[in-house]
Amino acid sequence: MAMNRLSICCLYALLSVLLGGGCGEGDRRSSAAKAAREGILLLGNNAEPQSLDPHKSTAVADGKIISSLLEGLVRPDARESGLVHPGMAESWEKNADATEWRFHLREAFWSDGQPVTSRDFAYAYQRLLHPAFGGRYVEMLYPLRGARAYNHGEIQWEEVQGVSTPDEHTLLLRFENPTPHLLQMLLHYTWFPLPAHHVEALGGMLDRRSLWTSPENWVGNGAYLLQERRMNDYISVVPNPHYWRASEVRNRGIRFLPIVNGYTETRMFFGGKLHITNNVPPEMLEMALSRSLREFCRDPYYCTIFYRLNTTRKPLNDVRVRRALSLAIDREALVARVVHGAGMTAYGFTPPTREYDAYDHSVAEMTQSERESEARRLLANAGFPGGNGFPTLELMTTSRDVQRVTAECIQSMWSRVLGVQVEIRACEWTAYKAAQQNGEYDISSSSWSGDYADPATFVGLWRTGAGNNCTGWGSAVCDAALDAADASPTTAGRMLKLAEAEREMLEACPIIPLYWSERTYMKSSLVVEGWYPLLLDQHPLDAVELRQNLPAEP
Amino acid sequence: MMRFLIKRVLQGVFVIFVLETLTFFLVRALPGNPFLGERKLPDHVLEQLNSLYGLDAAAWEQYVRYWKAILLHGDFGPSLVREGVQVSEIIAQAFPVSLLLGSVAMLLAVVVGIPVGMFAAYHRNRLPDTLLMLGAVAGICIPSFVLAPLLGISLGMHVPGLSVAGWDNPLCIVLPSIALGAVNAAYVARLTRSGMLETLSSDFVRTARAKGASPSRILWHHALRSGLLPAVAYLGPAFAALITGSFVVETCFQVPGMGLHFVNATTDRDYFLIQGLVLCYGVLIVLANLSVDILLAWLNPRIRSAE
Repeated sequence: MAMNRLSICCLYALLSVLLGGGCGEGDRRSSAAKAAREGILLLGNNAEPQSLDPHKSTAVADGKIISSLLEGLVRPDARESGLVHPGMAESWEKNADATEWRFHLREAFWSDGQPVTSRDFAYAYQRLLHPAFGGRYVEMLYPLRGARAYNHGEIQWEEVQGVSTPDEHTLLLRFENPTPHLLQMLLHYTWFPLPAHHVEALGGMLDRRSLWTSPENWVGNGAYLLQERRMNDYISVVPNPHYWRASEVRNRGIRFLPIVNGYTETRMFFGGKLHITNNVPPEMLEMALSRSLREFCRDPYYCTIFYRLNTTRKPLNDVRVRRALSLAIDREALVARVVHGAGMTAYGFTPPTREYDAYDHSVAEMTQSERESEARRLLANAGFPGGNGFPTLELMTTSRDVQRVTAECIQSMWSRVLGVQVEIRACEWTAYKAAQQNGEYDISSSSWSGDYADPATFVGLWRTGAGNNCTGWGSAVCDAALDAADASPTTAGRMLKLAEAEREMLEACPIIPLYWSERTYMKSSLVVEGWYPLLLDQHPLDAVELRQNLPAEP
Repeated sequence: MMRFLIKRVLQGVFVIFVLETLTFFLVRALPGNPFLGERKLPDHVLEQLNSLYGLDAAAWEQYVRYWKAILLHGDFGPSLVREGVQVSEIIAQAFPVSLLLGSVAMLLAVVVGIPVGMFAAYHRNRLPDTLLMLGAVAGICIPSFVLAPLLGISLGMHVPGLSVAGWDNPLCIVLPSIALGAVNAAYVARLTRSGMLETLSSDFVRTARAKGASPSRILWHHALRSGLLPAVAYLGPAFAALITGSFVVETCFQVPGMGLHFVNATTDRDYFLIQGLVLCYGVLIVLANLSVDILLAWLNPRIRSAE
């Protein structure tokens, strides 16, 4: 059996070559250092995108890529949240009550050399709204006059008054209500144009399986061109030579890495594989901080972590019970222990900003023991003194670690303070979403982040019967305040009415706000320039520069 | 032999058909649908999407249409969650990665596992045997979600050339294949040891020994062939499992293989993608088992003559 021995020897030789051979010869610089020299940004981007077609996607991770490939009427500032610069629109004017906006487009081109015209915008809006297209994020365009009716198939596109194109370089948008916050909304990719000629050539407006977003077919007007897409590996983009600000793009490309697992991502950062990560999980915060204080980033984020209460079920239909559950939670302890300080205790729903603040100051100013005694008093009034006779409720979470730990923490707080028992049910993601949206839960662990910098993206949730309400709660007072906010032509007036709606909701307590989360991530501060904290995490990536003259690596 | 092969192939086709049919109806029985997002879709939009992808038709009609598309057009359908990407494209990108990683892991399992098992059997009940089998038990017991991050932190971050995670240079394969191969190497070692022990105590080996054959000749020439039978029977399905990817190892090392797609497609209810992946997995399992049957027949004359 000499053959056997020979073949085994061969196998060993092969394996040793495979495993050890490259070590001596290979380039020992880390991927991140190499990429920095080439001017390529390596960016952790959470998940593989749903789609690069702005009308088929709803995910945050997709938005980052789409915003680098396509440009809307305006573009965001790199340093200041909420500040916008002219994009495809050179200038604009609005009427007195902000129901009519006229945009003057600049001379700009698609990456195939065709001019960008107002028709490309109208085409895009018609496509997303088309009653036979199935646009997922269609509600973003509902403020346009006639958009909702068109989407429901009640009128024809020609009858929609919201969008018109007086000439190739003018886009006229009319709204049902005053829309003073339009410029913020326009930063969202649902308002971007599409290359109408190109989409038409590759299957047409309604072709759901069209491959126009694949790298070999890509045509865009943004700072970058789609170069390559490897599922679950990376998406790479390179500067678009036809972009109107092509000379101002500060790097030579971006690689988006879809790394779902925060532990893997953080390890990759420290292993020299990324310039900027998406998320450091709470358990790794201490390690990340101690290893590299300068590279650790903790930015405010427009996102609320809260619990939904199913107000159609007993005993949660009693506002006293709901308030008692809310007051019994020690949010300080929660933020300190569960997310290791990466959050702000929340006694309201919308994260407060300079212009808007509607949280419950009276509760926020109480001490925790005052809140707890008030909680016990409310629960006793509701007929459950000391938790006696209170049924065991179910607390539904996803299988994410941080949600499970939060739930366990709150479970023990309720048991200790109120004598109330809850069971935790960790659901797989889709089952969780289905149960929440169908109202098949008692208490549901939830989060919400804003689409654009405006409290309406938060407070609008609590309209009676709104798709994402899911609590069964509704109030005529809240709805009326929301309507009044919609009708208000001034920003100050809107904020006032939105705050009124939010206070009404908080009073009824269909949700338990827990904390306003912060984004924790790593950034190679020696290498990356031009990346600043932004509330909505909408970074204009063309402004990011990679320092080339790095000190030699150890 | 030919009749045996044809029989096994037909059996395989039947198994795949049953597997695919069960999968088709089971994934549709799960709660939720592929279009559920973080935000609730308006009802009319959900209807539009269902009708665009033909999911509003009766289940049996969808089922017939599904097979028709595959058999007549070779079309596995679109991904319902990653819109604008075809299932065949996803598999075409991910399978070579899993194939490479799985093959290296398999090679590792064979090259480490078999000699270790032989060595342990040869020194049975002595110190080397005890130590090696202790190692093998550890290899079986330590789950990959422990081993993979440990390897990443201990080796990936410190040994130059090795990669902590990612798939951007050839050496990226080292740690994931160790993480994936370790447990299989341990199994193979144990199976080889027990197979060899059984063979070494059999009559023909005693005869060989009595005839004065050297220990190494006995081990390599007489015992190895039949001693390997249990390990080989294990290797077939294990290989199919390895080359269709592992969710845990792929997540820990950010490897763009099939395992990630398998789990994500299921949690996202990406119907066509699940079916495509199950089909792919089924075909590979059947092929692997078939090759094991052939290999076993070659190794063991008794199986050949029985046929």
